[in-house]
Amino acid sequence: MSEPWGLFWLFLRASLFSTGGTGNLPLIHQELTAEGVADERDFAEALAIGQVSPGPSGLWVVSFGFLIDSWRGGLLALLAILVPPLLVLLIDRLMRRAEAHPAMQGFVRGMMLAGAGAFIPVLATMLHAAGWSLPTLLIVAASVLLARARRVPVIVHLALAAALGILVDLARIG
Amino acid sequence: MAPGLWRLAAIWLGLGLQSFGGGTATMALIRRCAVDEQRWLSEAEFARDWAISQVAPGINLLCLTVLLGWRVRGLRGACVALLGLAAPSGLITIVLTLMYASIRDSALVHAALAGVIPATIGLGLLMTWQMARPPVGASRAQGGAALALALLVLAGSAVLVGIFRVPVLAVLLGGGGVLGLAEWWRAWRGRRR
Repeated sequence: MSEPWGLFWLFLRASLFSTGGTGNLPLIHQELTAEGVADERDFAEALAIGQVSPGPSGLWVVSFGFLIDSWRGGLLALLAILVPPLLVLLIDRLMRRAEAHPAMQGFVRGMMLAGAGAFIPVLATMLHAAGWSLPTLLIVAASVLLARARRVPVIVHLALAAALGILVDLARIG
Repeated sequence: MAPGLWRLAAIWLGLGLQSFGGGTATMALIRRCAVDEQRWLSEAEFARDWAISQVAPGINLLCLTVLLGWRVRGLRGACVALLGLAAPSGLITIVLTLMYASIRDSALVHAALAGVIPATIGLGLLMTWQMARPPVGASRAQGGAALALALLVLAGSAVLVGIFRVPVLAVLLGGGGVLGLAEWWRAWRGRRR
């Protein structure tokens, strides 16, 4: 997978067969962790940077590309995510014709559900890698509640979590 | 009157550079620009474009950007809008990652990550719920059997990917196929009655 074409093709495939900013995560995670090209930390860091950088949070993959293959990886990831959205023009035309067909509605709904389901093992693996300690679980729970309230910008949210991580570390050393 | 390509590029470049705060903030900026300020389309048309963007391949906001660019200046407008929004944001993301990569091995960053990683997992959990809620809600409106099938696809996908290591693409297409067939059968049965 270290070949540029292989990496570009993976990013492109993952984006082509997913919707949303992080819908491409399960496929990329599955392939690159199996090959040992990336680990849980790479994914977590890229997701966090994607949240605080401008533009859609789906740009996490650009950060991820940079982390595993420097400028080449970042630029390939950026290029790969620019192509699939153009297909929306085709979908727009198709939807005008077939959006009322029950099978099409069911297919889209099934893909959305499968996409959400495929996300769960990724989060479970990340949690496993982070360790099932009480502070970790408490931060996960607090993060869900904070994000649900939608009152705190994500950048502040992650800064608070970083400060908490440093405090927990200082308490351990102390 | 529709803006020229250079003006369109400048508008999307501006949106791309000021959209700090994640997808929700970017979406709000795009809506305000397209509907309120430039009046490229109505609120209802914007909602329809957003709905289509959510089922199209790729990042939703980039799909929406393509559709809006298309409405204003055809294919060239779509490409200009896409590049205008994504290129500066993408390059800033790379620069932020570069800055981060230079300090990622320090002890302080490790300690901070012990907080950031669980927070990211929390954000991911909420995002998973937000992704699943609309299709689950639509299935629930169809009755108990449809809801059970939807939950089965949701849980089954997690098990297939997490435990049996089934390729994600196969799971996505399989999930779509199962509900597509179920809906087709439901409609067929309804017509026979």
